[in-house]
Amino acid sequence: MNENRFATGFLIPGGLWLLLLFVVPVVLVLALSFGYTDDLGEAIYDTRLDNYERLVDPDYLPVLFRSAGFALGAVVLCLLIGYPVAYYIAVFGGRWKNVLIALVVLPFFVNYLIRTYAWIAMLGDDGLVNGVFDTSIRFINTPYAVVGGLVYGFLAFMILPIYAALDRMDPALIEAGKDLYGSPWETFRHVTWPHTFQGVLAGSVLVFLPAVGDFVAASLLGGPEEVMVGNLIQQQFQASDNWPFGAALTIAMMAFLLIWMSLYLRAAAREGKEATA
Amino acid sequence: MLNRRDLLKGSAGLALGAGLAGCGVGNIDRGSKAETEKPIRKRVDGDLVYFNYSEYIDPALVKGFEKLYGVRVRESYFDSMSAMMAKLRAGIHYDVIFPSAEYVQRLRSGFLIRRLDRDKLKNVDTVYSYFDDPWYDPDSAHSTPYGMYATGLGYRADKVSGMTGSWRDLGEADSGDRSFLLDDYQESIGMANLVNGYPLNETDTGKLEDSKDYLVDLKPELRGVSADTITNMVSGNAYIQHLWNGDIVNIRYGVDNPEDFKFQKCKEGLPVGSDNFVIPVNAEHPGTALLFIEYMLEPENAAQNVEWIGYPMPYEGAPTEAFQGLVKEDPEINITVEDLEQGQQFENLKGEGRLAWDEVWTEFKVS
Repeated sequence: MNENRFATGFLIPGGLWLLLLFVVPVVLVLALSFGYTDDLGEAIYDTRLDNYERLVDPDYLPVLFRSAGFALGAVVLCLLIGYPVAYYIAVFGGRWKNVLIALVVLPFFVNYLIRTYAWIAMLGDDGLVNGVFDTSIRFINTPYAVVGGLVYGFLAFMILPIYAALDRMDPALIEAGKDLYGSPWETFRHVTWPHTFQGVLAGSVLVFLPAVGDFVAASLLGGPEEVMVGNLIQQQFQASDNWPFGAALTIAMMAFLLIWMSLYLRAAAREGKEATA
Repeated sequence: MLNRRDLLKGSAGLALGAGLAGCGVGNIDRGSKAETEKPIRKRVDGDLVYFNYSEYIDPALVKGFEKLYGVRVRESYFDSMSAMMAKLRAGIHYDVIFPSAEYVQRLRSGFLIRRLDRDKLKNVDTVYSYFDDPWYDPDSAHSTPYGMYATGLGYRADKVSGMTGSWRDLGEADSGDRSFLLDDYQESIGMANLVNGYPLNETDTGKLEDSKDYLVDLKPELRGVSADTITNMVSGNAYIQHLWNGDIVNIRYGVDNPEDFKFQKCKEGLPVGSDNFVIPVNAEHPGTALLFIEYMLEPENAAQNVEWIGYPMPYEGAPTEAFQGLVKEDPEINITVEDLEQGQQFENLKGEGRLAWDEVWTEFKVS
């Protein structure tokens, strides 16, 4: 009995956190999405469906898919860059491990917005990179810049969980793989990868979620064709004073993500189970 | 053991309660007329709680005010009018805020700002007479103008050929594919309305359809839709940028060849506007706020501020001369009284019209 009460007590801080900072805001957003805006630009709670009717317009689908595409691109690039970095630090880092990990995190001390502005200065038509290499490549205002900005913004979220998984892995397992005449590739495929798969999965989700709702990269580094759903939502809240429609867009995006993520997680879990079996 | 379902049930109940309680959040507490009309005593009644765009006042003047009256100025910033309104709605107390003209109208009609007795403000008679009885605030009874702006095209005279004095230059002049539309739905739809020969604030859905078509057709000619006008032009990414006149002054501060950065007012129509000082009805230190407004109206201070912010202030004498001095190489950047009289100002759109503008802009973005 006492133990139960103790366990329940443990749930309180986390439960309150979830309740206040997740459940309540989501309920408010949901409630607001049935509202409207009055003549003073003020959002009024109501029970109308206008905002969702407006959303049914097929014009919005490409924006959702584009956002998912950019975010997926960022995940793949983060994985290709992040895995070797994490591997190097975990396996060859030795006593420098903690310093190297600190270096990975260091850029995150600078605000994401500022770092994105730095990209404009570095990659602009007359920027540092074009100046040093005496080229005139157009980096900014392209889809590549947007995906690049997302990768730059969220790379550490991929490196850290993979590093944690690699660091936890017993190096003797790799030795065992080699002893069993596994080539380096086979050892990686059958030993290292399955052991770090959960880390890869966690990293992918941690990169994908903020990236798909991001508006900073598209608005600073994109051109007119690179609008993401985050930009539309931000516009409703910050410019056109239509919070209820912004709320409906948010709910639609959450639903879209939920479907997507549940399919992905189910597939990934199955694969994970097979790989470790 | 506490099971998961109980936990979920409990939190759902709490959340619902909080959600219903939260329904009050969005609904602003309207002030009453009596409260807004109460005269303010001009005296130090505490530190000044100040709320403005960032980088929109000379920090030396803020320090000077603190020293002069022995108070602290507690500054906070917003990045859009919507964000400002959200903070006010949340019930936060500010002593002086800086809304644009249409937001003055909104705040006034909601009885949310205090009457500013003009007789009490020294130097208020230097304010252009154009602002004696503006459309957004009869008799200027609840606001005093701060900065003013006109919208046009900034361009690189050393890079662009074929500027003709028209808004169409944004898509048609040869900028080497470096044209940027301003990421501001009012300015961009307003511009499209002007190009089509309609009033700036047109809300007729058929005519707005023409304006949307203009914007959608313009899109392939654009490199970007962006409000980072200064970064775009200073970095060399933009050769033509749809922007506010004061941005060009700030851009010229940041480059080696300021003479090449020009401003064009466009013949189809000139959007003009102003930001203003107002004192919210829930201000805790309205007396200090009044002293602050008076301090900023002081011609020397205003002139110094104009040079720092790069935007003109509509006060006769030193402040006007200060701006003319800043832009003497390109007087087109200046805003004259005639510009104000002939220009068009953004108004508060109502209901259907407002929604129609929002739809045009969203459809343009997703097109």
